[in-house]
Amino acid sequence: MDIESLVTSFLVICMPIYITSFLLYLVRLIKGPTLPDRVIATDALGFDLAAFFVILSILFRSPILIACAIVLSLWIFALDIYVAKYLESRELGE
Amino acid sequence: MAVDIVDWILVIIGQILIAIGIICDFIAAILMIRFPNFYVRLHALTIGSIGGAVVPLIGAVFIVLGAEYLGIYRFFLAGGAITTAIFVFILGAIGSHAIARAAHKSKSAILTPCYVDHLSEDRGEGECRQG
Repeated sequence: MDIESLVTSFLVICMPIYITSFLLYLVRLIKGPTLPDRVIATDALGFDLAAFFVILSILFRSPILIACAIVLSLWIFALDIYVAKYLESRELGE
Repeated sequence: MAVDIVDWILVIIGQILIAIGIICDFIAAILMIRFPNFYVRLHALTIGSIGGAVVPLIGAVFIVLGAEYLGIYRFFLAGGAITTAIFVFILGAIGSHAIARAAHKSKSAILTPCYVDHLSEDRGEGECRQG
């Protein structure tokens, strides 16, 4: 058994667990009673999606997917700060 | 050969880290469903962002450095993965603190099983305000 088949089979086994946790986060994202609940569900979903992209780029052997992961983590932080500013002062920043 | 052994050690360390991260991610997803209110769900959020995203990203760095079949672009992938890990490690904590402070200050989170709330007592807003 060489490194390539070991890494590929391990990552293929990891895929269903990741997808199951994404579906559980989506339940909270749709069901969440208030706005902050939906925002933190989106947070957890986005950060885990960034890690999922890196694993997918190892599995597909295409390093171009890493650019999506960096930009996604920065946009999730921007969503946090934007919603926090809106909730605190009831205005959209200008 | 010595280089082969180093590659195997890097790949196995990376796989252990990814396995830990996947377990943390699954636990955080279950807790995000099961926890009763917003302030307790923040705990699930930080399990999911630090344990479920930073640890697998560092594990992916080890795997990529060990797997030579990915070609010369694997160093690009390793650099991007460690950058994403540092971003998530800093920005996830800052974002969760900001959203918690804003939710408590704007009274937009529902605090259903409320036993004590010292912060709103100190602000003179009653013991357990709802809504």
